[in-house]
Amino acid sequence: MTARSLTITPLAWQAGTIVALVAIWHWAAIFHPAVYLPPIQRVADGYIRLCHGELLFSALLPSLYRLLAGFVVAVVVGSVVGIAMGSLRGLDPWVRPTLEYLRFIPAVAILPAALLLLGPTDQMRIFVIAFGSVFPVLLAATDGARRVDPTLIDVARVSGLSTIERLWRVVLPAALPSVFSGVRVALSIALVMMVISELIAADDGLGFYILRNQRLFQTANVYAGVLMIGTIGLILTLTLLAVEKRVLAWHRGWRGLMEANRG
Amino acid sequence: MADSTAVTKPILAVQNLSKSFTTGGPRILNGMTFHQKPGQFVAVVGPSGCGKTTLLRCIAALMQPDEGEVLHRGQHFDDPPSWLSVVFQDYNRSLFPWLSVRQNVAFGLRGVSARDPQIMAALSAVNLEHAADLYPWQLSGGMQQRCALARSIVVKPKLLLLDEPFASVDAQTRIDLQDMVMGICRSMQLSTLLVTHDIDEAVFMADKVVVLSTRPARVVEEIAIDLPHPRDQLVTKETPEFLRLRHHVYTLVRQQAQKLPRETQTER
Repeated sequence: MTARSLTITPLAWQAGTIVALVAIWHWAAIFHPAVYLPPIQRVADGYIRLCHGELLFSALLPSLYRLLAGFVVAVVVGSVVGIAMGSLRGLDPWVRPTLEYLRFIPAVAILPAALLLLGPTDQMRIFVIAFGSVFPVLLAATDGARRVDPTLIDVARVSGLSTIERLWRVVLPAALPSVFSGVRVALSIALVMMVISELIAADDGLGFYILRNQRLFQTANVYAGVLMIGTIGLILTLTLLAVEKRVLAWHRGWRGLMEANRG
Repeated sequence: MADSTAVTKPILAVQNLSKSFTTGGPRILNGMTFHQKPGQFVAVVGPSGCGKTTLLRCIAALMQPDEGEVLHRGQHFDDPPSWLSVVFQDYNRSLFPWLSVRQNVAFGLRGVSARDPQIMAALSAVNLEHAADLYPWQLSGGMQQRCALARSIVVKPKLLLLDEPFASVDAQTRIDLQDMVMGICRSMQLSTLLVTHDIDEAVFMADKVVVLSTRPARVVEEIAIDLPHPRDQLVTKETPEFLRLRHHVYTLVRQQAQKLPRETQTER
């Protein structure tokens, strides 16, 4: 009984908080009508309109496509380059100075240049999203690969694995916990870069939708778009956590043992 | 026993081996020479920090010596030869934590599924069939080391290198593991090289004990151990011959340990 009420209580509090916020908004909009405070019903309508019909194809799906494409490119490139850098020591002095420099350039700053080079295209937006989110993955993968226990590498060598097999079968799995922590950071950056990339020279996507409705004083739609971006972030993060929980099930048990040994 | 065939080419020949970690730096190994016949169980003992692990890494071709050479059946190797297996000292660092026991054992076998009967055979040789689907971190220390042992024998090696494999388990587990390893090595007619700092263990298990000096390590003496097989933890260890050999090896190692400089020495 105690365990049951303990698990339900936080959920109830969270639901309660949301209901309270919605109620405050609702009554505030009735008693104090203003452009910046549209009735919550209209925001909800705008939100639902984004999920189907014409807006689904002109706002939600283009954004999702760019976000996922850029994010996947960042994860793949970051993992591959990072793991190569972390395990092939000879590569490091050649690549690291350039990367250390590039990572301090905010992705927003390369947006105008990317627009010049690639035009107002999907590729440009995907590139900007990938550029912004690749570095956390890359640095985490480098770090993870560098910290692989040398004994495991010895085991792989005695087992006759080639360098590529070693990277694939030993370094990659050993670095995965680290890679995942980078991937989580990358996801939030990718979301930011998706919105920003759609505020410039765009004619579709959620960023463009929000900007256009702001210019038309359609405040309810602006809020609907913002809430939709929050929803995307939430769903993708939950998905990522579920994948991580599955892929890294071994890591929780192993880390527990390591900590027990140390303590 | 293979010992009697004096003409047999040694499975392992360490010849005038020298190694330092930095070019021109102090030597870890200094002109070390010894041979191992096929089927022989050799134990290498020496004061702690004398370079035993470095020697083992050179023998496994995980490291190349500065001078001298290591010959496996008369041949030099740049990478570990396929008939060689190693059980490393830290079992909790040598098993892949993301693979189950079964998958860990199958790791070195090309194109063999983790469900293959070979895997179960190796696991049953170390009494670990019941734990096949567990993960290394779910096992006790002794079980982890048995898993590492199963992984090293499943490839049917000719030469098995053991780097202080029982160093971090409790006394009872250690005794059980010693009996298990001796049994497996004899039934598979494996040539085994055991690196250890435990003199009882070396004398009890080996056909020959190689005593190393303090750094830079060289061979102080090779001692043939002619204790009859099968050996028993109680009976063998109470025989006058065992006690005599143990006394002899212990005296040699202690002489070396007393020469050690004051500062702490660490291996690798």
